[in-house]
Amino acid sequence: MTKLLISPAPHIHEAGSSTRRIMLDVIIALIPAAIAGVVIFGISALWTILVCVASTVLSEFLFNLCAGKKQTVGDLSAVVTGLLLALNLSTNVPLWQCALGGVFAMVVVKGFFGGIGKNLVNPAIAARVFLLLAFTGTVAGGAAPVADATSSATPLVTINQGVEAAKAISLSDLFLGTYGGAIGETCAVALLLGFVYLVIRKVIKWYVPVSFAATVFVCAFLFGGFDAAYALQHVLAGGVLLGAIFMATDYVTTPATGKGRVVFCIGAGILTYLIRRFGAYPEGVSIAILTMNLLTPFISDLTKRKTLGGVK
Amino acid sequence: MKKDISSLHVPHNKHTAACEPVRIDLPHEVVLPMNMQSGHDAVPIVQVGDLVKVGQLIAREEGRFSSPVHATVSGKVVEIGSMDTAKGKPTATIRIESDGRMEVDPSVKPPVITDCDSFLQAVRDSGMVGLGGAAFPTWSKFTEAKNPDYHVDTVLINAAECEPYITSDHRMMLAHPELIADGIAYLRKYMSEYLENAVYKICIEKNKPDAIAVLKKTFAGQTDVRIQELNAVYPQGAKQVMLYNATGRVAVAGNRFPSFGALIINVSSLAMMAQCLNTGMPLVERIVTVDGPAVEKPMNLIAPIGTRISELLKYTGLKAEPGKIVRGGPMNGSAICSAEDPIVKVSNAVLVFDEKSAALPEASACINCGRCIEHCPIGISVANVDRVMKVKDEERRVKLLIDTGVRQCVDCACCSYVCPAHRPLLQINQQAKSYLKQYAAGQKEKAGGTKK
Repeated sequence: MTKLLISPAPHIHEAGSSTRRIMLDVIIALIPAAIAGVVIFGISALWTILVCVASTVLSEFLFNLCAGKKQTVGDLSAVVTGLLLALNLSTNVPLWQCALGGVFAMVVVKGFFGGIGKNLVNPAIAARVFLLLAFTGTVAGGAAPVADATSSATPLVTINQGVEAAKAISLSDLFLGTYGGAIGETCAVALLLGFVYLVIRKVIKWYVPVSFAATVFVCAFLFGGFDAAYALQHVLAGGVLLGAIFMATDYVTTPATGKGRVVFCIGAGILTYLIRRFGAYPEGVSIAILTMNLLTPFISDLTKRKTLGGVK
Repeated sequence: MKKDISSLHVPHNKHTAACEPVRIDLPHEVVLPMNMQSGHDAVPIVQVGDLVKVGQLIAREEGRFSSPVHATVSGKVVEIGSMDTAKGKPTATIRIESDGRMEVDPSVKPPVITDCDSFLQAVRDSGMVGLGGAAFPTWSKFTEAKNPDYHVDTVLINAAECEPYITSDHRMMLAHPELIADGIAYLRKYMSEYLENAVYKICIEKNKPDAIAVLKKTFAGQTDVRIQELNAVYPQGAKQVMLYNATGRVAVAGNRFPSFGALIINVSSLAMMAQCLNTGMPLVERIVTVDGPAVEKPMNLIAPIGTRISELLKYTGLKAEPGKIVRGGPMNGSAICSAEDPIVKVSNAVLVFDEKSAALPEASACINCGRCIEHCPIGISVANVDRVMKVKDEERRVKLLIDTGVRQCVDCACCSYVCPAHRPLLQINQQAKSYLKQYAAGQKEKAGGTKK
């Protein structure tokens, strides 16, 4: 008879639950947005996606190799980061800059801080903000859709001018994403599909992205002239949905409790609106989430779950 | 209105719920370990070669929360040996070769019970311990309720059986509701001074409608007995969770259970106690559920305590090579070294896993998903415990550990169960708990030292 395994309780484990499975679910949820991006912005969007993913996966692989660490490429988190980075960039960004962003995300933001689970800020977002500051000309603003090369201005620039100017933007365009912007941020329908999938798979809680989007909506409604359609434009245009569904829900860089995550999202929503209204950049989602990432330990501390029967 | 604690839906796997317990043929030998209770080991009082009869005292209790051990078959003591345990420390064992006659010891006769003291003494002599898993000596539990500072007004009879697979309590309720009634009657009669106007709440999960019906019928007209139906969620049977869900009271850290005005006793313990007091025969056998992915035909068996597990597996058969054998439930039971190990007093189940289902998934880094915190019935910041344990400054480490709430951990293992990174969170909690205990003891000693 073979030797029996002795191990501590529990002896059963939730079926099919693993870090890799969670990452795979996020990748699956991002596929509609990626496809929409390629349809709207052309084949060059595909190159951006492939270069970003190749760059993040290779960077993580080589970093682990050089640092003598256990190989973690198999957990698919590098693929998620690469995909998110690509979807946050427009096709205006040269491929070498995309690749550089990938290296920055995996080595500087993730690897140097200790790898998966240890990074303070979201690698994809930090890399995008790094590229934005370093190569403002190509990264700020968005590329025009292939079908309509004349509309190079992203609708967010127009929307930020106020209610009257925003009337020129149709809500149906915003839903379908046929306007200028980053590859993965424009098609609301595709992003919402991903949202539904992640909620069904219990990877995220519905109220986390909703509280982000709702905060942007409320801010735009209160300070933009009490116009619901205008407030909705603020939610649909730019990176709010992509950020709320896929980046404000990143486990590692947001608080661990539901309460904490809602506080995080409300803060990110307010910052997003402030940057859009008063900032030099038309879009503020990345900077807002990055800022809230840094506040995460503090929010976590304030929003800890109360222990039943705990005494001071 | 208070919200019930509900932590986790684990697959019930109660394959044996409809299996009436079957008494096994007499095993040719039994092995009785001395550590079948939560406290100190019992001390053997027989020698190799002694002839013993069923119910005869063969090891006396020694030290705090210890409990006596009785011969569970008649025959000859062939070895006083030693056995490795999951806790690491070996324990003494008494091996008895059966003579096949099951002769009852003449000392076995119904005890004379006249008052609380003689009642407690009889319970003590019967070797009864909590059969749900804690193995706390039953008489000690009742004795605690005598403390004049406590005002126990509720007796919780734990019939939740919230762990997957196990149905031994369920079958006990179906087979012997009258023993549960007897048990309550004993408490009513002899503990009346300390359980004045107490309510007896039989707390049972809703997934056992047949047992609920039987209990309702048995206790019709007994106004102080309530059948409290609880949701079938894990860990409904953890005493802190049950206290909250059944009474709304909160088990505050660092207090003995009766200080919350409640006693809690496992339903099989209460029934077996009544049987022991009715007949004078100490605890010598029990119902054990034999199930698990490697078991051919899951069954409930009645077996003498000390029966080797391999003996039970002859009845159920195996459909795969065992990779792991667990005594108790899959969430809380302990893995044992060998199929030759015996069942003990608390063995409500024996689970056999095949090699594939026994294999441990490799642990990886915490990704802060928060599931351990979300599913903790007590609301402990489980994910933080590991991090805090690594804090260098001791005082800060202790303060932060207490802040996580880890002292309140009920060992339910929900955190480890849900962790997608497969981290051994329960173990980390247990380490943190014992570290805090040691620290507190050290501080006490220091304070005592300076006084001198």
